[in-house]
Order: sequence, then C-alpha cells, then structure tokens
Amino acid sequence: MAKRVLLAEDEPNIVESLTFLLERAGFEVAVKTDGRRALDTVLDDTPDLLILDVMLPELSGYEVLRHLRADQRSASLPVLMLTAKGQRADRETALECGADRFITKPFSNADVMAAVKELLNGNAA
Amino acid sequence: MHSSIVGARIRQTRRAIGLTQAELARRIGISPSYLNLIEWNKRRIAGSLLRKIADALQLPLDEFEGTQETQLMEALAGLAHHPLLRTLDVESDRINELIGRFPGWARALGKLAGSERDATARVQILSDQLSNDPYLSETVHRMLTRIAAVRSSTEILTEYADLPDERRGRFNHIVHEEIETLSEVGEALATYLERSDHSDRILTPVDEVEALYEARNNHFQELEDAAQPLSDLLDDSEPLSRLQKAGSLAQHHLADVIDRVIESQPQIKTAAARSRARRALSNYGVRSILMPLASFAKRSAESLYDIEVLAEQFSSGIEAVCLRLTALPRSDSVPHFGYFRANAAGTIIAMLGLEGLSVPRYAAACPLWVLYRAQQSPEAVIRQRVLFPSGDRFVFVARARRAGPSGFGKPRHYITDMLALKEEDAKLTVYDPEPSATVEEVGPSCRMCPRMSCLHRVEDPLAE
Repeated sequence: MAKRVLLAEDEPNIVESLTFLLERAGFEVAVKTDGRRALDTVLDDTPDLLILDVMLPELSGYEVLRHLRADQRSASLPVLMLTAKGQRADRETALECGADRFITKPFSNADVMAAVKELLNGNAA
Repeated sequence: MHSSIVGARIRQTRRAIGLTQAELARRIGISPSYLNLIEWNKRRIAGSLLRKIADALQLPLDEFEGTQETQLMEALAGLAHHPLLRTLDVESDRINELIGRFPGWARALGKLAGSERDATARVQILSDQLSNDPYLSETVHRMLTRIAAVRSSTEILTEYADLPDERRGRFNHIVHEEIETLSEVGEALATYLERSDHSDRILTPVDEVEALYEARNNHFQELEDAAQPLSDLLDDSEPLSRLQKAGSLAQHHLADVIDRVIESQPQIKTAAARSRARRALSNYGVRSILMPLASFAKRSAESLYDIEVLAEQFSSGIEAVCLRLTALPRSDSVPHFGYFRANAAGTIIAMLGLEGLSVPRYAAACPLWVLYRAQQSPEAVIRQRVLFPSGDRFVFVARARRAGPSGFGKPRHYITDMLALKEEDAKLTVYDPEPSATVEEVGPSCRMCPRMSCLHRVEDPLAE
C-alpha cells in the first residue's frame, strides 16, 4: 500500500510542484493549507510523514509541531520542516520543537525527495 | 497654567513699562502687598483679576493662558535633566523665572531641545532598523518563497521529459506567474530603500499602523458603535465558543466599517500596512464584541482597572483585557494605558505606546523592566514602580502567560503582557504604589540611558 504524506503548506504553487513530485514517487498525498487543519488531520488520521511549512496561517508550523510531539498518537511521526528563513536560530527552533529534518526554501527537489525517502525508510524499519 | 510663570510675567511687564507695584495695585483695585504676593507666586491668580491685570499692562490675555507655556516648561525641565548637560549645573529650579523673564530665549531653547530629541530618536530608529527591520525580513521571506516555487517548477520541467502537455503548460504558467510576482516584490523593495532618504517618511508598514493608532488615541468609535449590537448576539456559552462566535460576527459584520476606517486615514499608505491594519482592527472588533465599551468602562472603574478581575468578569484573556484598557476613550478620570508584549528572548513583539515613555521598537528595552522579570514568576501579576533618567515616573504591571501547548516533561513557553501608566494615573487604579514602595531606577534602553554605572549596561549611550 502506498505510503501517505500530509503536506501542510499555504503557497499553492509550491503545493502543486511538491504534490506532483510525491505522487510521481508513488506516495498518496493530502494537502492542508493552514496549521489548525493540518494538526486536526494528523491527530484524526496519522499519515506516514508530515511535510510542514513554518509560516502557516492560524497556527505556525512550530506550534503544530509542539502539539504533535505532546500527543501520544503523533509523538513519533516523522516530520520534515520547510521554511524560507535559513537562519541558525530557526533551524534550532525547528529541531527543538521536534522536527526530524529541516530544509530551507529555495530547496532543490532532489533534496526534498531524498529527505522524504530517508525519513520513511527510517520509520518503516 | 502655572501661577509661577504668571507672577514672573506680571512683574517683568510692569517693570518694563515703568509702573511701580503700588501704582499697578491701585489701578486694578487690590492692595500692594497682595500684588506683591501674586508677583512672587505666593498666590494663584485667574479669572477677572487676571483680566484686569492684563488690561492694565496692555497685554493680550492669552499671553497668560493656554497650554503652550506648560509644554515649554516640560520641555525645559527635560532639557535640564539631559545627560549631556549634567555637569553644567543647570538651574532646574528656576525654569519658571526663565520663561517669565526671557520668553523668546526660553522658546528657542525649547525648540532646540525638541529637535535634538527627534534627531536622537531618528538615529536610533535607523540604526536599529538596519539589523531588525520587520518589513525587510518579511520581504526577503516573500522573495525566497517565490524563488522556491520557480526553482521547483523549473526542475520538474527539465527533469521530467515525459510530462504531458497539459502539465507542462501548468508548470510553465507557475514559473511565469511567480517571476511576475517576484519582479513586483523586487520593485517594492527598491522603492522602499529609495524612500529611506526622505526624513519625513513613515518608516515601515508597522510604523504606519502605529501612526493610525496614535492618531486615534487607540480608540475607534465607529467600530465600538458597530460592535455594540453584535455583543447582544453572544450567549453565555463557554469562553472558547464565545470567542469563535465573536470572531465570525466581526468577520461578517465589521469588515466594511474597518475598510472605511482604513480608507479615511492618511497614515495608511501601503498595501502591506492596509492588510496589517485590517488584521489589527479586526481583532479590535472581536474584543469590542466580547467586552462592549459601556460595560467594560464601568466595570474597569469599579474594579479599579484590576486586569485579573476584568479577565474573569468578561471570560477573556489578560492580553485582551490589557488591549481593551488602552482603547478606553481619553478623559481626566480614566488612566491612560500603554501596552507592551515581549517574548522570552526579550524582543518587544507588540506595543501601543504611552506618551512620554520612549521605547526602542527594534531592539531590546532596559533589562530592568518588569516586562522581562515577569517570566521568572509566570501567571503572577507583578507591579513595578520606575523612575526614568528624565525624572518621569511610571507604574508597570506585568504578567507572563503560557503560550502554546504543554504537558509533563515538555518545555513551557511564556509571553509577557505589560501595561504601563504614569504614576499619577496609577492613583486611579488598584496598582497605585504605596508611598513607601521601592522606586526602581530604569532607562529606556542602554543606548538612550545616561546611567553609566548601571551593572546591567551592555552598550554605550548614543549621546556620549
């Protein structure tokens, strides 16, 4: 069965290219464009991987992640964070909040896909 | 107006036109000894007697009245305490006499003091902006996001040769669209940097919104009027659903009023400021639905502006109550509140300023403020009585609240809300410090502070 990836991102054009890439690689993709709905979706029906943008409306990526890590159902869900800010402080915040990987925009598709595969294999093992 | 200025002015003018005290006293029908008391500021004077004296001295009455001289006196008092003039033994106890005897020189000094203060503040804003400009960082963020979309789409176009035509067209379209937006953002950035040369320009979208709040004294009567009937639609449900209901009522019924406010204000010039102002006013609207002005003003006065009592009575958060207090219409019987919000890193992330309280927006304020100390005892309301180098006294009331989720073994994160009010205004509140309460010497920020021996100093003052 195809692995399920939830993409929490509010930039429609980035959603379109990432969805294309993930589906081409054989994943089942669901998209949420605000932090609140992304959080509810994960808690309701946990995917195999969450790709989480930091700057989301309603609830920021950091806040979503803190909620997720505090909840038993999603405490060990692999999370790949995306952000446009590449400063060290952001990376530290992301890792502190419990992100497994952190990729900054503008990213290369290859980097994102490599991280996705690595995180999913780690989880499956 | 200060009677001491009036006395000196009468004495000065009488001598200038060659009148004796006895003669002037006779003309206005009072005893020479009483006139002597007036001239030496031992008796207050106003009304018909003041008019008679003005007539006898052939001075227009407004020479004695109005607020201009009070302002001048405050400006000169500030100047007398200026850190650069500390060693000059300025006779700060004789300001009244200076204004009375040499009004022209006094006005000149007042004017210079004002322009010096503006220049220093401007230098500070500009130097802080270079490192922390919120508009610049927002713009860079937008550009990086657009570039990410272009890069990702372009890679797909080159790496997937088998792309169906429809898909190919779609990704081509994305690239065009994003590049167009990118040019617009770049152009806006260039204009923004160009405008930096004009000294009278408003600096950032954040500044524009702040100027709007300042112009309105943080109060928007048209929103209060529109929110009033909406308050009645809220029932006694749980606080959280009340908040949601108020949010959706504001969204559906206040949007037009908010747009009208924004359109009518000359302070809001850019699209970025318009959307920021819309967000801020929409939250204002939600608060005025949850805490309708009339009952909030009444209960505030009854509780002596106790933020915890008000939060409980209106089932609202401390932050919302603090913001609501800043929006109370101005009057002599209502304390005037400023509001500051800081995160754990010490950055001021929101503020509604208070007259006379100078705070650096883009850099940390003085670490001695209770705004920062409050995080050591979360959820407790802490009062601080402070004295600034200018001699101004304020009362700060701060409380740190938990932000975001938490649980056993998880890190806790706090945000601090702080109200600021002048010490004389604090008398109207439950936070009025008893006379024996400790007065803490603080500053605006190290760069603006002359307290050279302060143990907590991290930077040299700009003025030195």
